[in-house]
Amino acid sequence: MKNYSFYKGRSAFWYLIIIGFTLSGTPALANKLLRQMQYPHQQNQIKGTVTDGTNPLPGVTISIKGKRNSTVSSDFNGQYILSATATDTLLVSFIGFKTAIVPIRGRKIVNVKLQEDITSLQEVRVNAGYYTVKESERTGSIAKISSKDIEKQPVTNILAAMQGRMAGVSITQETGVPGGGFNINIRGVNSLRTDGNAPLYIIDGVPYSSDPISYRQTSTTIPGESNPLNSINPSDIENLEILKDADATAIYGSRGANGVVLITTKKGKAGVTSFTINTSHATGTVTRMLDMMNTQQYLKMRRQAFANDGITTYPSNAYDVNGTWDHNRYTDWQKELTGGTADILSMQGTVSGGSEQTRFLLSGNYRTESTVFPGDFLYKKGGAHLSLDHKSESNKFRISFSGGYTAQKNDLPWTDLTLLSRNLAPNAPALNDAQGNLNWENSTWQNPLSNLEGKNRSETYDLVASTLMTFQLAKGIEFKSSFGFTDLSSDASRTAPSTMYNPAYNYGSEYSSIFKNTLGRQSWIVEPQLNWHSAFGRAEIDVLLGSTFQNQQTKTRIEEASGFTSNSLIYDLTSASYLSVESDEMLVYKYQAFYGRFNYTFSNKYILNLTGRRDGSSRFGPGKQFANFGAIGAAWLFYREKWIENNVSFLSFGKLRGSYGTTGNDQIGDYQFLDTYSSSGYEYQGLHGLQPLRLYNPNFGWETNKKLEAAFELGFLKDRVMLTTAWYQNRSSNQLVGLPLPGTTGFTTIQSNLDATVQNNGLEITLRTINIQKPNFNWTTSFNLSVAKNKLLSFPGLEGSPYKNDYVIGQPLTIRKLFHSTGINPQTGIYEFADINGDGQISYADDRETVRNFSPKYFGGLHNQFTYKGWQLDFLFQFVKQLNFNFASTQGYAGTFRNQPAEIVNSWTQPGDNAQYQIYTTGVNQEAMQASEYYAESDAAVSDASYIRLKNISLSYDLPQEWLKIMHCKISLQAQNIFTITSYKGADPEFREAGFLPPLRIVSAGFQFTF
Amino acid sequence: MNQEIYIFVKRNKTMLFTAWLVALCGILFSCDSFVDTDQPNSQLTSSAVFESKATAEAAMTDIYAQIRENGIITGKLSGIGNLMGNYSDELIAYETGSYSSGPFYNNSILASNALISSMWNSAYNQIYAANAVINGVDNSITLAVADKSQLKGEALFVRALNHFYLVNIFGDVPYVTATDYKANSVATRMKTIEVYNKVIADLKVAIDLLPQDYVSANRVRPNKAAAQALLARVYLYTGAWSEASNMASAVLNNESLYVWDENLDNVFLKESTTTIWQLAPAYEGHNTEEGMVFIFSSGPPPTVALTNALMSSFTAGDLRKSHWTLAVTDGTDTWYHAFKYKEKTDTGTTTEYSIIFRLAEQYLIRAEARAQQGDLIGAKEDLNKIRHTAGLTDISADNASDIVDAIIKERRLEFFTEHGQRFFDLKRTGKLDAVLGDKLGWNSNDSLWPLPQSELQVNPYLKPQNPGY
Repeated sequence: MKNYSFYKGRSAFWYLIIIGFTLSGTPALANKLLRQMQYPHQQNQIKGTVTDGTNPLPGVTISIKGKRNSTVSSDFNGQYILSATATDTLLVSFIGFKTAIVPIRGRKIVNVKLQEDITSLQEVRVNAGYYTVKESERTGSIAKISSKDIEKQPVTNILAAMQGRMAGVSITQETGVPGGGFNINIRGVNSLRTDGNAPLYIIDGVPYSSDPISYRQTSTTIPGESNPLNSINPSDIENLEILKDADATAIYGSRGANGVVLITTKKGKAGVTSFTINTSHATGTVTRMLDMMNTQQYLKMRRQAFANDGITTYPSNAYDVNGTWDHNRYTDWQKELTGGTADILSMQGTVSGGSEQTRFLLSGNYRTESTVFPGDFLYKKGGAHLSLDHKSESNKFRISFSGGYTAQKNDLPWTDLTLLSRNLAPNAPALNDAQGNLNWENSTWQNPLSNLEGKNRSETYDLVASTLMTFQLAKGIEFKSSFGFTDLSSDASRTAPSTMYNPAYNYGSEYSSIFKNTLGRQSWIVEPQLNWHSAFGRAEIDVLLGSTFQNQQTKTRIEEASGFTSNSLIYDLTSASYLSVESDEMLVYKYQAFYGRFNYTFSNKYILNLTGRRDGSSRFGPGKQFANFGAIGAAWLFYREKWIENNVSFLSFGKLRGSYGTTGNDQIGDYQFLDTYSSSGYEYQGLHGLQPLRLYNPNFGWETNKKLEAAFELGFLKDRVMLTTAWYQNRSSNQLVGLPLPGTTGFTTIQSNLDATVQNNGLEITLRTINIQKPNFNWTTSFNLSVAKNKLLSFPGLEGSPYKNDYVIGQPLTIRKLFHSTGINPQTGIYEFADINGDGQISYADDRETVRNFSPKYFGGLHNQFTYKGWQLDFLFQFVKQLNFNFASTQGYAGTFRNQPAEIVNSWTQPGDNAQYQIYTTGVNQEAMQASEYYAESDAAVSDASYIRLKNISLSYDLPQEWLKIMHCKISLQAQNIFTITSYKGADPEFREAGFLPPLRIVSAGFQFTF
Repeated sequence: MNQEIYIFVKRNKTMLFTAWLVALCGILFSCDSFVDTDQPNSQLTSSAVFESKATAEAAMTDIYAQIRENGIITGKLSGIGNLMGNYSDELIAYETGSYSSGPFYNNSILASNALISSMWNSAYNQIYAANAVINGVDNSITLAVADKSQLKGEALFVRALNHFYLVNIFGDVPYVTATDYKANSVATRMKTIEVYNKVIADLKVAIDLLPQDYVSANRVRPNKAAAQALLARVYLYTGAWSEASNMASAVLNNESLYVWDENLDNVFLKESTTTIWQLAPAYEGHNTEEGMVFIFSSGPPPTVALTNALMSSFTAGDLRKSHWTLAVTDGTDTWYHAFKYKEKTDTGTTTEYSIIFRLAEQYLIRAEARAQQGDLIGAKEDLNKIRHTAGLTDISADNASDIVDAIIKERRLEFFTEHGQRFFDLKRTGKLDAVLGDKLGWNSNDSLWPLPQSELQVNPYLKPQNPGY
């Protein structure tokens, strides 16, 4: 806990906490409530306790039927007081419970027992972005998870909490390093550009840019791009919705092609002020390690390699085998370098309360997470969240504010030690000498711990604030406008101090260097909207018109400095003898749109939903800036038809819905249409160089995505069984790509539109059953399954294009073209491959014709929840059926001064051998080296990487109220990535880029106090 | 239902009107200019760059900075000074791993080698930049005529220089003279002889355009003599003996600029009067990348050391051994490093720049060209000039073939670790297999490096790959 420093950056957060405490103690609010209760006279005071049968329920809304402004809430003991006449009837309602209608009948004390309503989900309103819609009446495809699911999981990034819980959403964790990235694909890969598949993130109505903030030189520990959702504290999230089909996403126009992720943060609840504290402590360890050779096996391999190469005298630099190093020493380097335990501490405090008019919620959180690497590295994250709501007494004016501030500080070694731990010879020397200093073994090795001297540090501060004002102009007409602001600043650096190098080389601090990346991004958005609702006869109409103005500015500055007077001044660039500003730029992105929605409901059975948007984006050249998008959606609630009601009694819900429409994609970076020079960051005799920035193409335009969906939703046995089956087909065309170019053009890519069409189709099934529903015992099961197919439908000119070696018409985009491994030549011991074009030689361009698809064939999750009195047990299995590269893709040819997986012992040694792996070489057998490279890109390097993972277990217990009079306490035990069933040949099967730290297994214990 | 809608519209006239008004406002408000953005403040349009001399020069000199940092002849580990030194018989690699000199030392490079592809890509990137300068200068109406010819001359020189190294390393390569990406992305391999013809044509124009004198201090921007020096080398490599001899003479006769220096310790100083073209360092106080890569102070060496074969080929009394190499010992073993550049680290003011062309080469080019043409006296005169400076006696050989052999031997001792001169000498004289055949990984296909794998993958027209890869 030594890291609880009250340094500058977090002071804001503590102030907020203090203010929160002060607020919670203010008697004013309570008095006001009491005053209301004692009015008017001639009434009796009614008291009571609301429970769920065992425990009291705080925050329950109690009102008197037919009387306005009579609403009160129960306190943390479930108790309430209100004034009513003897003949009044109480309406007692609480989310997740059936509303109770209790006539007072002259009583003074009215205790109410609420029945949990697991089947009421159909009535919940779902956030569709610009509007909300009742779950039962939505025409679009929207998946949702709520705080109930999120809080069971000990994760830092909300995406980790979504894995296995949402149909059609495929999420891969890219590294187990704290603050690491995730890859998310909603309904598959639409764009040929690997960085063009991110969904649109919206936090409380404010688009949150997913453009990377990382720079390759300052974030090499973290593969992929750092995910912006790290800035959101999962426990501040109330609901997270994913919009998938055209009906739901077309209103987001150009940015909806890859789906939309809507995040709604928690809001205050009216009633007595409650104060909640959550603390937890967790530990994390690597899920799976690769089985590597031991010293004996390794030295045998090395000796054989030299023999194979005809080398009889071991070279002077073959320290492992020539006697310089101990032949009996053994170190499990994976255990040594990545086998540590990460310590995760988190705490959060929340104050919530308010009156019916004004509600507030204030929370602060702090979390630290260490790494599994040796050394002191820590990821710290702290933040505050404030939500305020107010409505006028007439209900005509409403305003809500929500703001979140997060500070993240990450301290990591300058490189991920995972790959290194698999390469070090098992008889490599000790890490430290007798004095405890780094051991360099007479300059015969690069001590791996020297990597800990280099640091990769980052600080990210993030503010997201939004205000929504709503005026009711007339009955049924509302004008609203949201104002959003985001401010992100990030400062990342990666150092290579001279202390990383062997002291024998006498490298002083003049060799120390640093890369620094400073980024600031501000955006504002204004979205005025007009809503109109009207009912006439059996019809209801909802109309929405709105517009968006958004402006985003990003400033980045990348610097490289070297040569310091002292290593302790390495972060002070003014003391560098060499400072180069690699780039210093400001990017402006402007975006404007008009959108509308027309929703027509007839007889509560037939629903038509039209949405449209006209978008303009500064990312396109003049004349290409604007485009139109739109969708049509319809639903038929057939269970409300008389003939069904009368004939099919077991059917409690039935809906058929469908949608078709277009969305777009403008994730291509800014200014790509300009022909410009920019500073190269180099200096030549005092002149700062200017270099051509890119090949430019002024003519590229929007990528469009046509989405079609049909779904069938059924509820049986009073909705105890709910089944949703959705089929979709998305086609994206006019692909915007960074067309890969040969180096002879001077560059490696150019932005352009390709006349290629990509199709994603699939089936999503979700099933939720309430198996047992008893007053004290409930068991529910939910299951989701997504089967997805991706296909390149057309690509004129593919054969003559740079994509010839990457794609095949009729095959998915996620394929890799591979050599076909035909085993080993028993005479030479070298891998052989099928010579597809029969020209007598193997070549990348012509012989890689075996296709393997790397996107999951199907994936899903199975979730079970048991509740018994105060106990709740949840477990989630996640499953993925997929192929992935095995260790052959990263380990290189065997026989060099690098360790290999234990399986490689089964290698060819003499003519006639029928071994699985080829001849060892120390690096002179070019044919074998080449074959090894082909092997790494052959079907033999791909294996089944399907897995079933017990993703999450959560056990919690609510201590009975009688035990702790003044507070409510909940104890929970949670675990993530508990075990994995897989036949995968390698470490963990979940990765996108091999050779990085796998996801961690996390076990957590926590307490929650509410008072 | 129509009836209902009619009633509805009638009843809600005002509301519909309001809605319509708001929509209209939105559209009017929408003046498309909202999404027009200004030019980003860190970028200049291409045409603006060539409006002023300062920015046009910044575009040109940036190419030299790129050559210094990541070009084929950079002094860093990724340059051919180191890589060809390992690939031939000058250097021994102590580091292993695929992104290192190891595969070069073993003569077992694969087409996927990252150093190869970055070398190729940066060479063509510099060629693109040079072509962009040529286009920009040609289209500029504001630049002065003298500035135009200076810049165009430099750009043509850089274009020729890169293609010269590319053709020597990879064999047949595309010769790129335009910035059109569509044409360049389907470039095909051009016969070596045609590449040479284009190099020669570009250099001839450059020689015409470039002034006699340097336009900046310290000889860091090429002048006429720099283009002549490269052309002399091109003629030598192509066996055009009389042209080679004449071109070398053109440089050597320029005695006002180039003065022979007998002191070996002066040759690699930044003020050296034998330097024809050198690269300015990244910043004042910084010395050469070569010094940083080659010099080490304790063994075993961290990266590379000079081979025993090279060290033992120095004859007794060769001052180059004592002045240009240095022994490092740990008591039992001894290693040597190149010590032409003396500074490994920064100094208050820079003392050494990376030299690309120097006078000694012109003497040896002329010596060889003269010997090939039968002018044995002239040949020996030039050769002895170099030998005397190295503290050696006159050459005793008395026939053309022996003199040429002596020159090749001399070149080895004079130009070791300088931009692969040794490897290219062995190659052009057909001695690769004879000299390097003893190396474990060597085979006769190794005279050419592979075209980058990635390049063949994105350009189906670049086929075929070099033999053996």
